[in-house]
Amino acid sequence: MNLNVTILEPAPRLKSLKGKTVGLISNGKEGTAGFFAHVDRLLRERYQVSKVILRTKSNYSAPAEDEIIDEARRWDLAISGLGD
Amino acid sequence: MSSELNSQHFDIDDSVDVQEFYHSKGWTDGFPIVPPTPTAVQACLNWALMPAHQIIGFEPVRERTINAEKLAINAVMAGCLPMHFPAVVAAWMAMLKEEFLLHGATASTGGCAILVILNGTIRQEIGARSDFNVLGSADRATSVIGRAIRLTLINILKVSPGAIDRSTLGHPGKISYCISEDEENSGWSSLAESRDIPKDASAVTVLAAGAPRQIMNEWTTKPEEILDTYAAEMRANMRNYSIWAGNYVVIMPPQHREHMKVAGWGRQEIANYLFEKARIKRSEWSSVGKGSVVRDKADIEYCALPSPDHLLLIAAGGPAGGFGAIIPPWLGTKSQAVTLAIGSCVGCDPSEEN
Repeated sequence: MNLNVTILEPAPRLKSLKGKTVGLISNGKEGTAGFFAHVDRLLRERYQVSKVILRTKSNYSAPAEDEIIDEARRWDLAISGLGD
Repeated sequence: MSSELNSQHFDIDDSVDVQEFYHSKGWTDGFPIVPPTPTAVQACLNWALMPAHQIIGFEPVRERTINAEKLAINAVMAGCLPMHFPAVVAAWMAMLKEEFLLHGATASTGGCAILVILNGTIRQEIGARSDFNVLGSADRATSVIGRAIRLTLINILKVSPGAIDRSTLGHPGKISYCISEDEENSGWSSLAESRDIPKDASAVTVLAAGAPRQIMNEWTTKPEEILDTYAAEMRANMRNYSIWAGNYVVIMPPQHREHMKVAGWGRQEIANYLFEKARIKRSEWSSVGKGSVVRDKADIEYCALPSPDHLLLIAAGGPAGGFGAIIPPWLGTKSQAVTLAIGSCVGCDPSEEN
């Protein structure tokens, strides 16, 4: 049996968040609204992030939809997290 | 049939040392394991007519290919004999169906376990019992098949506590959670038949499931009143755990089944009744401390079952006692029960052949 294995390189690390676009991928649970609103505020005020985009999965226990992953390719940084 | 095993081999002479070695590697559930010698692993593969490298399926989130050899190793560790192995394989094929949502079910804080239900002649062949203590350690077969599911998750997908398994509590079914249906004494068709498996085929049904919630009603012979107790427990689960509709299991013992039989109630009548009765309004959340999320939806009615067909009714339990149970789904319809015939094969669908 032959398996083709592709080794993916991680994206380059950012030296600064200033002026960057950051995407937040929420699992959509009840606690996420307040949690990610706070993260949004911290990113803008403390790290001078220029744009914060919030996207929410339709099923909090399944991977993000393809549309979200495709959109994330245009972000400088993505944060995925729980709001439990 | 013989095939080349590819897994790493360790030579350890002392039986106690074997246990300590496996525990130290994090390869167990905390209980002693049966050393998976090449002979024992090969015997499982031979029984199932599977080469070691046969691909059972693919888990898309962790991007792991599940092959027969790894399942056989863990089945032996769990205590399986070769005759138990086909049920483990079929359960894994079912778990890898997209609608089961395996990664979510094994990683969720919700802490569900994977319930395996056996139907068909395999039950007698392997000595699976459906009567006394059916939700405990009723017999060797169901104990080791259920344990094999857990060990395979731990060792193939790293579903160990604090790693992929993020369960807040979990429940005892995560050690082993396998039962067989009492088809001979049920008075109705088997669960597998009701889910489109041919009568003569053996089958497994898997469900990402919470812990059993036991009920008792020994004070009536009326089907409606007996089922009202089950429905009340389903409603309690909807209020206290999750309101979302899904595949609920109802385990009904002989004492209750006899009353159903006398009244002429079969699988369909029972499912129809519970479909109508297991409903709550969202406003009921206010009575259990969840008023903050009722919002403007207080009058919306929620049903435990999306349809009567979503009920997984199982005949099982000891001969005496009006004790039954409901087993709730983990995440409503977002993770669905899957039933497969034992001996079925991923990629064997003739429509997929070129």
